[in-house]
Amino acid sequence: MNKEAPLSIAERDFILNALREDVRLDGREADQFRPLNVSFGEEYGHVKIQLGKTSLIVRISSEVTKPHDDRPFDGIFTIALELTAMGSPAWENGRQGDLESYVSNVLDRVIRHSNALDTESLCVLKGVSCWSIRADVHITDYDGNLIDAACIGIMAGLQHFRRPDAVVKDGQVIVYGVDERVPVALNITHKPLSITFHTFDEGKRVILDATRKEEQASEADVLIGLNNAGDVCYISKFSGFPVDAMVFVNKSSVALEKVKEINNIIDKALQADLTKRAKTALVEESRAANDR
Amino acid sequence: MAPAAAAAAQPAPPSLSLPPSQFARLQPHAYLLAHLSPPPSSNQPSIRANGRAPSQFRVTSANTGSLTHTNGSAVVRLGDTTAVCGVRAEILHTEDIASWSVSRPTPASSSPTGNKRRKLTDSTAKLSAESENKEEDGDDESQIQDFSLLVPNLSLSTGCAPGFIPGAPPSALAQSLSHQILTLLHSTRLVRAEDLRIWYQPPNLGPEELERHNENEQMDVDAPQGEVDLEKNKEIKAFWVLYIDIMIISLAGNPFDAAWAAVLAALRDTKLARAWWDVDNEMVVCSDAVSEARKLSLRGLPISSTFCVFEADAASGWRAVVIPDAEEEKELDDSTRKGIQRRWVLADPDGYEEGLSQERICVVVDKEQDGKGKTVIMKLEKNGGWAVDTKELKTLVDISAQRWEDLKQILEQC
Amino acid sequence: MVGPTASLTPLSRADGSASYQCPSTGSNILGSVNAPIELPGRRDALRPEDATVEVFVKPGTAPGGVGERYVEGIIKNMLTKLILGREKGYARRGVVITLAIVGGESVGRGDSYLTLLPALLHTALLALLSASVPLSMTFSATVLAVDASGKITREPSPKEAATATSLHVFAFSSNGHLLLSESQGPFEFKTWENVHQRALAICHGTLARSSDGDVAMAEDVDGQPLEGALREVVEDKIHLDYAWKIDAP
Repeated sequence: MNKEAPLSIAERDFILNALREDVRLDGREADQFRPLNVSFGEEYGHVKIQLGKTSLIVRISSEVTKPHDDRPFDGIFTIALELTAMGSPAWENGRQGDLESYVSNVLDRVIRHSNALDTESLCVLKGVSCWSIRADVHITDYDGNLIDAACIGIMAGLQHFRRPDAVVKDGQVIVYGVDERVPVALNITHKPLSITFHTFDEGKRVILDATRKEEQASEADVLIGLNNAGDVCYISKFSGFPVDAMVFVNKSSVALEKVKEINNIIDKALQADLTKRAKTALVEESRAANDR
Repeated sequence: MAPAAAAAAQPAPPSLSLPPSQFARLQPHAYLLAHLSPPPSSNQPSIRANGRAPSQFRVTSANTGSLTHTNGSAVVRLGDTTAVCGVRAEILHTEDIASWSVSRPTPASSSPTGNKRRKLTDSTAKLSAESENKEEDGDDESQIQDFSLLVPNLSLSTGCAPGFIPGAPPSALAQSLSHQILTLLHSTRLVRAEDLRIWYQPPNLGPEELERHNENEQMDVDAPQGEVDLEKNKEIKAFWVLYIDIMIISLAGNPFDAAWAAVLAALRDTKLARAWWDVDNEMVVCSDAVSEARKLSLRGLPISSTFCVFEADAASGWRAVVIPDAEEEKELDDSTRKGIQRRWVLADPDGYEEGLSQERICVVVDKEQDGKGKTVIMKLEKNGGWAVDTKELKTLVDISAQRWEDLKQILEQC
Repeated sequence: MVGPTASLTPLSRADGSASYQCPSTGSNILGSVNAPIELPGRRDALRPEDATVEVFVKPGTAPGGVGERYVEGIIKNMLTKLILGREKGYARRGVVITLAIVGGESVGRGDSYLTLLPALLHTALLALLSASVPLSMTFSATVLAVDASGKITREPSPKEAATATSLHVFAFSSNGHLLLSESQGPFEFKTWENVHQRALAICHGTLARSSDGDVAMAEDVDGQPLEGALREVVEDKIHLDYAWKIDAP
């Protein structure tokens, strides 16, 4: 039961025929994202992403641990994604399906392997202690394009997160609480995001940000991971029908445009959250002063 | 069980005579009910299908020290449920603990758990004799928990009951039992952290003292009050980690009581070798002299008792449940007094009874001053139904206190 | 005392869902229910005439472990008794409850789950209501901490819970039965009785079975009983959903 209920033939034909006439079910252009909403929770690194009907929550957490023996100068960064029955009734709790391992793998490659988070900056004391950053992705609603949404969530979370300040004093690591010292932002080297395309009609139609139904009706997918500067950090054609090589060339410029657009949305949301926090901090301070 | 069962199985139609064992399988609920409320005409006493009275526990036996490669071990039998527990101690260097060298900035003010890792505060706390007990107690618990010095793991071995097949991952039951044992070890603070610490005592500064270097080190635990300087320089270099492995080799109901009793017996049996930090070799050295090994000094003797509730309403298995409200409940109680019993609280349920009931109660009690003091509840757990309320729980706590006495004797004899 | 906030059906994909936030313990839980749902054949249903209830608790910032299995067991055992699994369409099907801890502190290894338990139970209840799963009754739950001096704290923060000598969780049915009681740490039965009285007042207020002066006083301290707060959440949602019908002439 680890599969979504398949589309009926009529539905599949309907989606396909509409696409042949350049119409998508929700009225979008082929190269248009669904409305994206990025919001932050009270805690640092708590992000809620709403992409159309797909929604997820990312939580970033940190703790001091011992670094891996073979990499004493490196911190640890892990992305944990578990699909539960909350996102879709087709997913089973506590059992890893194909989709889960595939999505985790892609996220690892796009964000972790491209060194978006500088792990060397997480080292506290060589070989003794380092920060371990963990990104937990909770999928709350699944309506297609999981990978792009998760990428946006994790990148926004990493930029929003602040870890407690730590100082080394005669071999002792002193961790200051969030209320004692201003917590430290993570060192982000670049902001890669993934853009997923789906092909239809023997590769003649290519759309991005497919919904669940469009994903099911599609022939193949093409995934491009890029950052703002246009450096490609991941490119894949994972399954399905063959795709013309020109699609990669043509669509990478579309992808770059989208990455810039989304990074803009994230930046704006971060900025808004920052000013909101600064304001509440001011209010708190004045209240504390009044009390005195 | 056979004779009692045969007599009580009378209500079954005589024309279609069925051996009691088959009746038990076909109509388990009716079978147990027939035992517990026999028809008034038969003059039979109310008794459980396994021949026990409702508040009677199964025959319990314990045996310690049977496994030779462990630091302590025990086998506990609770009727047909058998648990084997082995305790193995391993050395964990403080430099291998990631959070060891991490501390919070202001140990005194910020949070009560803030100072736990500071070795200096640790030894100064020792000096103030009055507050020693309290201070050290708080310290103990946090170190054991923070550094995971107790690692219980329970496995339901293949074939312990028909449902357990080889090669399966740990079942939810096994995992949840492991967790219950771990939280109970933490909340009862059974093991003292002092027993698990391995110290380094630097030699006294004078050259003549260096000669006696070794002797000094041995005085780690009961160094006299005068040697304040020494106390200050004492340093924890390593910990003993106790791996507590429990195997249920036969499961016939009530695994938690058996497992906990086995853990308790095994920990009482556990001996740790004398260990100290050797500066020259930069390693922990253990003494192999048996006479130098010492036992753990445990805090109290928490004993667990499990109960389940059997409800007479046989139809409850077949139709939508109708719940009496609190008022009706009172009437129900009245009818109980008149001799018509509707529900029974069964102590130490076997597998058959567990399958027929949903409501579980688990009480862990200890008695202060080795049994002479008052009864203290360490854990009280009840879920899965609404039959047991304050009044019933009070009785169960009393029964558990009784059980404490019995089990204490059994554990002391082994 | 700031009461909990909750919302019904925040998610679109699951059959029913609820989010629940308890400001004093700092927990924030998102729950979903899929029911009735076909279960794969590999599971041998315990009782063929009944629905199988499955509970999954997903910790917020840590991998799942034995602690989650334990608290799942408690929730499952309690809800199985309340869900009318023999109703039409439910027998041999599954009721899958997923609870994700999306805010607040995570529970470490060997720590007790008791501080989170009431929030988890309430979320599960609201999600079940949102999925219209037939229930025999509703309930309300609370957690109380007793410190060394015997002072009772309602819904303690993680810090208060760490310093408490004993922790107690109670759940009462809408009819006033004691559905669940989980207590941990050394305490005497007398203490338990006191805590039980206080919990009953928190959950039920004046509806409490014993109506002596003591309870009435406690009720004033605790403000609106939880039972009513949960009821209001559901009522508000119904008013919102049926606004077209209610407002129509």
